[in-house]
Amino acid sequence: MTVKASVCVMSDPLIFMMGKYEAVVPIDRMYSENHLWLQAVADREGVYRVGFTSYSIRLLQDVYFLDWNIDANTGVSKKQAIGEIESSKALSTLYAPANGKVLRFNDAVLSDPSAINVDAYGDGWLYEFSTEAPLMHPLAYLKHLESGWERDQRYLKGQVNQG
Amino acid sequence: MPKKLTVVVSQSQGKNPAKARLEEEIAAALLFDPEIDVSLVPHLYDMHADHSGLLFLRSVAEPLVFLSWLYPRATRWTLDRQGVKGQEGTTLLRSEGEDEDADENDEAEESQSAGIGSQGQVPKRRIWCLDLRAYNDAQVYLDEIKRIGAEQSMPTIGLSLSLNGGPHRHRIAPYLEPQKLLSNGKHEPGASTSGVSARPAIELEPTKRRWYPVIDYSRCTNCMECIDFCLFGVYGLDHSGSILVEQQDNCKKGCPACSRVCPANAIIFPQHKTPAIAGANGEVTNLKIDLSKLFGGEEKDPLAMAVAERDAELVADGREAVGMAVGIPKRQTGSDKPRDALDDLIDGLDSFEL
Repeated sequence: MTVKASVCVMSDPLIFMMGKYEAVVPIDRMYSENHLWLQAVADREGVYRVGFTSYSIRLLQDVYFLDWNIDANTGVSKKQAIGEIESSKALSTLYAPANGKVLRFNDAVLSDPSAINVDAYGDGWLYEFSTEAPLMHPLAYLKHLESGWERDQRYLKGQVNQG
Repeated sequence: MPKKLTVVVSQSQGKNPAKARLEEEIAAALLFDPEIDVSLVPHLYDMHADHSGLLFLRSVAEPLVFLSWLYPRATRWTLDRQGVKGQEGTTLLRSEGEDEDADENDEAEESQSAGIGSQGQVPKRRIWCLDLRAYNDAQVYLDEIKRIGAEQSMPTIGLSLSLNGGPHRHRIAPYLEPQKLLSNGKHEPGASTSGVSARPAIELEPTKRRWYPVIDYSRCTNCMECIDFCLFGVYGLDHSGSILVEQQDNCKKGCPACSRVCPANAIIFPQHKTPAIAGANGEVTNLKIDLSKLFGGEEKDPLAMAVAERDAELVADGREAVGMAVGIPKRQTGSDKPRDALDDLIDGLDSFEL
């Protein structure tokens, strides 16, 4: 399995090749190692919109349900379980990307999670989050994808082959 | 007069179009069958005790086929807790993730069941719980419903169709409302010319997603470990001292900790992503992959997970984390050794009146 990453010029997003699929990594935002993007909200220091990266979306595919186990305005610690997601291909618990506070949820994707697939980096945002924790730059996230891809594939194949 | 069969389709929670289509196909196909009363209710697990859907279900005294997006065990014991009781009907269909030829093992398991059994009176009528997740094809379910119909009332033959059903048809009418849910159902309520009930569904009071444990009393031994472990007042005892889920909505959404500590694996969280917790029978394979590890989850042993889950909920409630200090099962090490004569002697002491 070869892993290719092509870095393009200027404001073009970074691309990570998951096999033949181009996982887009826009450079106008930050990332967490658990495959979420965090985009700073204008004029509100330390406040980010959080959503799934296209790497996550490629693995999830069509999202059918999203559900949060916590209320808005709740402090969370990194890796705390905060919700559940079900898609056509996968089920998962969702975990906080860092120590911080979940300020509010995107009600639109709660009632119709398809926005997550339609516009992962825009309308498909999940929640607003305030944190002072250090986050990953796009390039660091790309490296994170490169270094984890073999392992992630093994993890996925391991589950598929179990049956 | 053949007994009528009531078929209830419990809807899925999400916006999955394929699920909605399967529900509609099944309901629409049964709508004009005079031997069958078909109804749609919201997702079983989400209905509160006084939801009209449950009022309706409690009013059904006939044999009941219940189709839902849950493991049959989860369906059966959720119904039981809500006062919809009956004998377990045996379906030939499998549930999600179950092997086609796993049936014999299941029965072996069932016969060894050491649980205290359903609490209260259980009527003779049967309830068949079918798992809508197992097949994509409505016809599979329709065939099984037909088979069940024939099984539960032997005199049912084609000729009885012209008799236009029995006298019980409208017994449950007060609980039924015309329903627009079948999007292309153009039949009008009351306009049923052939005595066919054209009332496919309960008025759908909206439901919110709920989260609470469901006890499988065929497994529960009344050991009380759950009531010791849970610090949120979910469990209680009935007048005869049997454990029950008393305050369902005290439960902490997403937390399956009590299920992990239950030594009999009797506590079901029907919506949990782990099949064993969601009510699967024995070994099953997950049809969907679990991405939790990619999204930040870690692997721990069940007790450590339960303790961490409970601590997270305690802290979220503004209480102190208790770690391993409270309500940890006092199982003796090596308790999985076979019983010996000493065990029998010690247990026998309890039966003496001292």
